[in-house]
Amino acid sequence: MHCDDFSRTESQRRSMLARPVSRRRLLQAGLGATISLYAARAMPLARALEAGEASAAAAPNARALVNVFVPGGLDLLDTLVPIGSYGRYAELRPAIKVAEPLALGSTGFGVHPALGQGLDGGLKGLFDRGRLGFMPGIDYANPDLSHFNSRHFWETGVVSLNPAPGWMARWVDRHGDADNPFQGLSMNAGLSPLLRGSANPVAAVQSPDAAQSWVPGVWGEWQDRMMEHYSAIAARRPSAPGPAAVFAAARQSQFVARTLKPYVKDPRTHADPLAPPVAYPGGENGEGTNGFAENLRYLAALLTLPLGVRVATVQAPGDFDTHDDQAQTLVNDLGQVSQALSAFQADLDARGVADRVLTLVWTEFGRRPKENSSAGTDHGAGGIAWVMGTHARGGLLTPYPDLNVFDDDDNLKVTVDFRAVYASLLEQWLGTGADEVLPDARSVGRVALVA
Amino acid sequence: MAASRRGSRWTRAHAERLLWRAGFGASPKEIEFWAERSRERAIAWLVHGGRGPHGTRRMVGPAPRANGKPLDPVNEWGHDMLWWLDKMVRSQRPLQEKLTLFWHDHFATRDQDAPLMLAQNRKLRQHALGTFPALLRAVTTDPAMQSFLSLVDSEKSDPNENYARELMELFTLGVTGGYTEHDVREAARALTGFKGNYRQGRPLTVSYDAERHDDGAKRLLGQRGRLGWQDVLRIVVDHRSHAPFLVAKLWSFFITEPLPRATRKRLARVYVGSHHRLAPVLREILASPALYADLGEPRMVKWPIVQLAGNLRMVGRGVDTDDWAWISDMMGQRPFSPPSVAGWDSGPAWMSTATMRARFLCATWICREAPVAVKKGTVDPAWKPAEHVERARAATGRPWTSPATDRQLLALARRFVSAKVKPGDAVPQYQAEITQAALRHLLLSGPDACLC
Repeated sequence: MHCDDFSRTESQRRSMLARPVSRRRLLQAGLGATISLYAARAMPLARALEAGEASAAAAPNARALVNVFVPGGLDLLDTLVPIGSYGRYAELRPAIKVAEPLALGSTGFGVHPALGQGLDGGLKGLFDRGRLGFMPGIDYANPDLSHFNSRHFWETGVVSLNPAPGWMARWVDRHGDADNPFQGLSMNAGLSPLLRGSANPVAAVQSPDAAQSWVPGVWGEWQDRMMEHYSAIAARRPSAPGPAAVFAAARQSQFVARTLKPYVKDPRTHADPLAPPVAYPGGENGEGTNGFAENLRYLAALLTLPLGVRVATVQAPGDFDTHDDQAQTLVNDLGQVSQALSAFQADLDARGVADRVLTLVWTEFGRRPKENSSAGTDHGAGGIAWVMGTHARGGLLTPYPDLNVFDDDDNLKVTVDFRAVYASLLEQWLGTGADEVLPDARSVGRVALVA
Repeated sequence: MAASRRGSRWTRAHAERLLWRAGFGASPKEIEFWAERSRERAIAWLVHGGRGPHGTRRMVGPAPRANGKPLDPVNEWGHDMLWWLDKMVRSQRPLQEKLTLFWHDHFATRDQDAPLMLAQNRKLRQHALGTFPALLRAVTTDPAMQSFLSLVDSEKSDPNENYARELMELFTLGVTGGYTEHDVREAARALTGFKGNYRQGRPLTVSYDAERHDDGAKRLLGQRGRLGWQDVLRIVVDHRSHAPFLVAKLWSFFITEPLPRATRKRLARVYVGSHHRLAPVLREILASPALYADLGEPRMVKWPIVQLAGNLRMVGRGVDTDDWAWISDMMGQRPFSPPSVAGWDSGPAWMSTATMRARFLCATWICREAPVAVKKGTVDPAWKPAEHVERARAATGRPWTSPATDRQLLALARRFVSAKVKPGDAVPQYQAEITQAALRHLLLSGPDACLC
């Protein structure tokens, strides 16, 4: 059974985000510095939609940041096992301890065997090749153990319960384009909260096929003509928020459809022009991974096309809120994560775009070091995140929390603030200022995570 | 002065607006029926029922089917939502049905067994236009809700705060309603005592066991005593934050304009003065001039299920396929499965490139079957462009379109009937049919169709 809090998660966020984002609220959230961005929302978009394609083509080699969210609060100890203090670890986790972690060289740490699943040794293989850097102990000061609150902080990049656009949405507003929805890509039907609330356009896409339209009795060039009229209808720009959102979505969905049309599967042979050069788990349709593998394989393909994808979000399958039966959950769900992510990385390599893609994998919090009475762990602090990619700095990038010194709630002590990682990604990877997106950028420190 | 006496103007556009906001749209005949009468009569029918365009019948149209068979809402995937969709499409108490949706969003519950969810839905419908205290009692003792928010088996040794918190934050007072963490804890104590009667690990019914109830003294929102669960409900409903909170939420369900402070006070007075009856407040809201603002530029984004049910209602089609279950999900709203206890994010938040494409797909599914599908031989190649547009409107239940859209529809019709046709030659039959198919689809799939 879910913890009560897990059911609350979305709910609270929604009740909070349902409130309008006023200038005062933004200031409360510490976003005064980025306030000028919101003035852009009111300005008419002067350029034609097609300019988006031009902007994408103008910088074909721009770097992209992929955010993968692992929901539920992934446990640090059983994922990145402290082999060097195995006795203490086993004392904390008598029932659920990982018996045979895969050692990471001579680091004194090992990973859950499920992380060895996948192409070329899975995520462990990536670590071994210096392409994956773990960040144990990641969280923020005075951690909030609510899924909802913590998630909201990570999504907005601000440790505040006030509503705010997602941190990636703010980056898109600052460095994106007024016309190209592909710049901020949510690989799901709904828009990820990381990208919600931007003034510049962003897109939610599942696949080129899902983006297309089908009109009974209207085919071929007739349909093309019909959709020209659809676009002409959608070109109107009403000012009220509801109609404005509807017309913008109509324009952008049509832009997305038109742009992705050359890449749909052949209707007769089902041949996929974006077929991946490597094997993803679950076969062609990513069966059994709840769409994760499919989302990643389309993302890899879209990153390769000249679409101008700069930031993207994907949600991992599974539920890592392991209050009970943690061992079995990790075997299954971590295995899927490892298989899908290692295929994604191999795919980027094979497509020749790995050098311009860096992936951050994150979860909303860590779990309590001492296991509970139902063979699981409760919400805790000091979680785990990692960066992966050809330019990721490999190894253990942050200090592992001390297993003998806990905070007042018997949780691990936080060793790095997630906003330090965000700030470092902005500066070291995207090459843009951190404080223009993150109000606390100056005070949170940095982590060297790009090689 | 009652708002209903103000603004006496009443046209087809007014009737159309009211039937979309207070229901799920209507067929052209139904709109005409009310346009020929008055705002007062239309509102009276919506709120109280009685004789309407179809006499006193409660449901109009063909019984629902999926894959040629009657629905099985308990056992078949998606049939729970089809069972409800059918009511949205056929009910002649559309406001009651719309409010059932409102209460499902307000008292959002999910992830419970279908029989429990259906039973809860019936309760929401039964109390939709009754009194709030009775509705709140029904919801508080409802097994699906109790199970979802951990109220069942919350006992004195370990009171669960989940329901107590949502009761105040989301159901009655609002997040700024003036309650404290202490109130949450005290309410949780007072709400202890419900006991689940399980079969195969699932609570089927809930009973009350005084042994499990914390009967000690408590202090909740300034009131003291050995409070029990009914006291909690009475105290929160009588709290000064409740009436303004609830009337504001109801207002924003029907009206996009901000609620003026004076109107809010007046609505709260009406609500409290009627002993928390919902009908008087709804009559006021539906008669409010703000509901009829901007008839030429609707500002409300239709909820996805409202657009879907409304499409079917407009064109007079019943529920005949289970495809609506996944299509509605893609559009961003799966009834019986709200994203959380806070319900759905509405307004602009409904829209993304993917959900907009799903609304387009919804139109495709309407246009591929009778009565909207273009039937061979029913299109006359001699139709002029304007007649094509008019015929397409008639075939799709006359959805609202802006003048700018109208110009595009006419332009499309001109272009389609004349394409590849030499002057003097007849328009080929297939070309006339394509023209109709394209126009009908655009009338239902364009951005205008998402607004009401």
